[in-house]
Amino acid sequence: MAIPLLSLIVFTPAVGAAALMFIRNDDVVRWMALGVTVLDFALCIAMLGGFDTSTHEMQFTETRPWVPALGITYALGIDGISAPFVFLTALLGWICVLASWVAIDRKVKEFMVSLLAMQALMLGVFCALDLFLFYVFWEAMLIPMYVIIGVWGGDGRVYAAFKFFLYTLAGSLMFLIGVIVLYFHGGETFDIRTLMAQDLPFQVQSWLFFAFLIAFAVKVPMVPVHTWLPDAHVQAPTAGSIILAAVLLKMGAYGFLRFSLPMLPEATVHYSTLMLVLSAVAIVYGGLLALAQDDLKKLVAYSSISHMGLVTLGIFTLNLRGLEGGILQMFNHGVTTGALFLSVGLIYERTHTRSIADYGGLMKAAPVYTAFLALFTLSSMALPGTSSFVGELLVLSAAFAANLAVGAAAVLGALLGAAYLLGMYRKVALGPASIGMRFKIRDVNAREIAAILPLAVFVLWIGLYPKPFLEIIDASVKHLLAQVHGKGGAQ
Amino acid sequence: MTAAALFQSILASLPEIVVVTGACILLILGQLVRKGQQHFLVWASVAVVLIAAVGTLMLAGEVRTAYSGMFIADRFAVFFKVVFYLVTVLTFLLSRKYAEIEGIGSSEYYVLLLLALSGMMIMASATDLLSIYVGLELMVLCTYVLTGFLRQQQRSNEAALKYVILGGVSTGIFLYGVSLIYGLAGTTQLDGMAAAVTGDPLDPGLLLAVVFIVAGLVFKVGAVPFHMWVPDVYEGAPTTITAFMSVGPKAAGFAVILRVFLNPLVAASNVWIIVAVIAAVTMALGSFVALVQDNFKRLLAYSSIAHAGFAMFGVAAGGADGVASVMLYLLIYAFMNLGIFAIVIMMRNGDFSGEVIEHYAGFAKSHRGLALLMLLYLFSLAGIPPTAGFFAKFYVLVALVERGFVMLAVIAVLLSAVAAYFYIRIVMVIYMREPEGAFDPALTPAVGATLAFTAAGTIGIGLFPAWFLRLAQHAAIGG
Repeated sequence: MAIPLLSLIVFTPAVGAAALMFIRNDDVVRWMALGVTVLDFALCIAMLGGFDTSTHEMQFTETRPWVPALGITYALGIDGISAPFVFLTALLGWICVLASWVAIDRKVKEFMVSLLAMQALMLGVFCALDLFLFYVFWEAMLIPMYVIIGVWGGDGRVYAAFKFFLYTLAGSLMFLIGVIVLYFHGGETFDIRTLMAQDLPFQVQSWLFFAFLIAFAVKVPMVPVHTWLPDAHVQAPTAGSIILAAVLLKMGAYGFLRFSLPMLPEATVHYSTLMLVLSAVAIVYGGLLALAQDDLKKLVAYSSISHMGLVTLGIFTLNLRGLEGGILQMFNHGVTTGALFLSVGLIYERTHTRSIADYGGLMKAAPVYTAFLALFTLSSMALPGTSSFVGELLVLSAAFAANLAVGAAAVLGALLGAAYLLGMYRKVALGPASIGMRFKIRDVNAREIAAILPLAVFVLWIGLYPKPFLEIIDASVKHLLAQVHGKGGAQ
Repeated sequence: MTAAALFQSILASLPEIVVVTGACILLILGQLVRKGQQHFLVWASVAVVLIAAVGTLMLAGEVRTAYSGMFIADRFAVFFKVVFYLVTVLTFLLSRKYAEIEGIGSSEYYVLLLLALSGMMIMASATDLLSIYVGLELMVLCTYVLTGFLRQQQRSNEAALKYVILGGVSTGIFLYGVSLIYGLAGTTQLDGMAAAVTGDPLDPGLLLAVVFIVAGLVFKVGAVPFHMWVPDVYEGAPTTITAFMSVGPKAAGFAVILRVFLNPLVAASNVWIIVAVIAAVTMALGSFVALVQDNFKRLLAYSSIAHAGFAMFGVAAGGADGVASVMLYLLIYAFMNLGIFAIVIMMRNGDFSGEVIEHYAGFAKSHRGLALLMLLYLFSLAGIPPTAGFFAKFYVLVALVERGFVMLAVIAVLLSAVAAYFYIRIVMVIYMREPEGAFDPALTPAVGATLAFTAAGTIGIGLFPAWFLRLAQHAAIGG
């Protein structure tokens, strides 16, 4: 019997979390959490090493009966669409541990347990091949995330935690009903591969499309159900913000890719214009809101809404460039925005203020830090040579092919992005040192560089040589397109 | 009745006989027990229940009808009886220390609980409206007395009086329905009643009778519009009795409801519409009113109303899966609700009442393990996976969608999102506030065992529901 690699990847953090509960010393807890996440990352590298990029089929599959009476199985597997996100989650796992090393100084054990539990569940979401299993992972994430925001967050943490919890819960409960309806229409099975092969009546597809849309739109988040995001981001501790921005938001888009497109192709094609418009609104509206922010975290949060709008835009152009660009952009956004939140977190640990007005002339005080900040800022606005450029270019060209007005909105969003990001960088890094910043700011230390450097590497690597990344997703995206257009009719 | 038939009847009802006999013996022995020896009563009571449980499981192999068709020992009854045993044993374990603190540890307390258990068992096995009535009365009379057991407290007395009066009225309504059935159909046996269905439209007299019976039964599970007694009684009763009532008698009520509602006569009167409306209104009321409660016991009272509403949705769905979903729901609810009650009971120590939610502020700081358990029970009650509470709700939803009631399923999940708010608000209080004083929970080994057992059930059924699901499906009637 082959080694169940995916189960190992998913449950290593879970076992680690359980083991951590019995340890009393905070330092041991930190090192153990780091060890577990690094081990998980190593497993993930091993998984990618054996990943076959030439097929769209699910790989590393495992299937075991779980609740046979209802056709529920424990089934894991990955394809080119989920593999990048498994990798991203594992990568950010240890970066989050490093980012919380000193930032979390009370209830360290509980925090690391929550963090590891969160990681196990997120990996489970991306690996699940059974809708019930997927839902269990998807919904169970609410518990550790609620605790992470609510216990270690800022002053308004309780409100933010509630808002996050209730928004996501309400969204995913409609998804649950959709899943059950799908179960009965798809031949009493929760198996994702079987359900993808079903040909459902258009009426059913439409209902399900909107049931799924509510859940995924809240997670992405799309306007108008985005209001939980700024609160959650601002109040969450750094690691929580990184997880939220880098992985949680991807799950909404991943949901579209994994369920809406292949299972409900006709409805997807039929409502794609609506989705394009919603995405365009998110791009412009998120950008405008980001322009008006003084709080660093809020600015990055609103920029996330704008950037995730670009992702959903790419997905619902329903052509190859758009989809590949969208998925690449999901990965890039995870890396870049994760890195930006990490950067904000690092500086906040030193100054305890996130107000842009308090900063200025940081370049003189902390040159290394500022260099990293510059790189991620430029990547976030998609400068050529950084990762986001590749994804954004693909999405923009696909957007113009799909709809001129939507394409124009996307370009406007990119312009806005340049405006607020450069504006932020100018105020924080350049100019004379501001009054509030007179005290000495320490530059990044080795631990912080260890956390931030890998993200910088990915930003430049994908920016300069995106081929290996596109190769991973290529076969699966082409298959996905064939599923959409094969059943949904060519556009 | 021949000797053979009598023997069969006795065999079928052996567990009930064991419990009643045990209760009578304990009543006498209780007078001989000296002060400070009360733990003997607890263990003797537990032993009685365990003997009955062994008997039930040994006789579970075949279906036995008894007492001229008034009583049946089938798998459906066995399933419910196991739930009752579980609830009763855990209540005994929780009562030991609590009864000592409140000064209510006399032998009558345990005897009344055992008699209430026997009433519930009769309800689960009853196949005649009259035997249902006997079981029902036996159970509620005991709970009336137990509710008023805190004799020094006005609150407890008031609750008991309210319960007696309202309960008496509802029993009257039920009996009136029974008399109408007897007058029109000439029988009170559930099987015999089915023969009275001759065709559409149904005799309006029968319809009226069905409505009366439904009303009487709905009172017992605390569903709207007969829920008014629940918060007051739950708040006033000793917390151990509240814990018991919120799961045991409620499950017994549902056992009867399932038997009666799946009867062809009732099914022919399109009663599911009434049930669906009751379910939705009950859940809405429980969920929304619980949002503003400050008292832990009152909050759990409204929460139990909301859960009764959710289980009612399973009754409305009907069919084999609908019945099985209600049964599984009640089993899982017993675990998680007794778990959270165990914490509340344990907190009653010294000056600490354990009843005000705000008093739990910062509980997680000093008692990590207990706080984690609370988190588990509360998220399970809210229905978040991977806890058992999620699977309970999930299966009810599956049953609803299977029968085409998608709108009901949507209503159910929307209301459970509302309900989630007040559960996680408690999590917020225990985890995200600073403690104002020290906590001194009365954590005895018995309470610890209860917590461990309920936690194992809450997480275990959530992760491995297959076996329990099969159990419920095999025991379900009306498939």
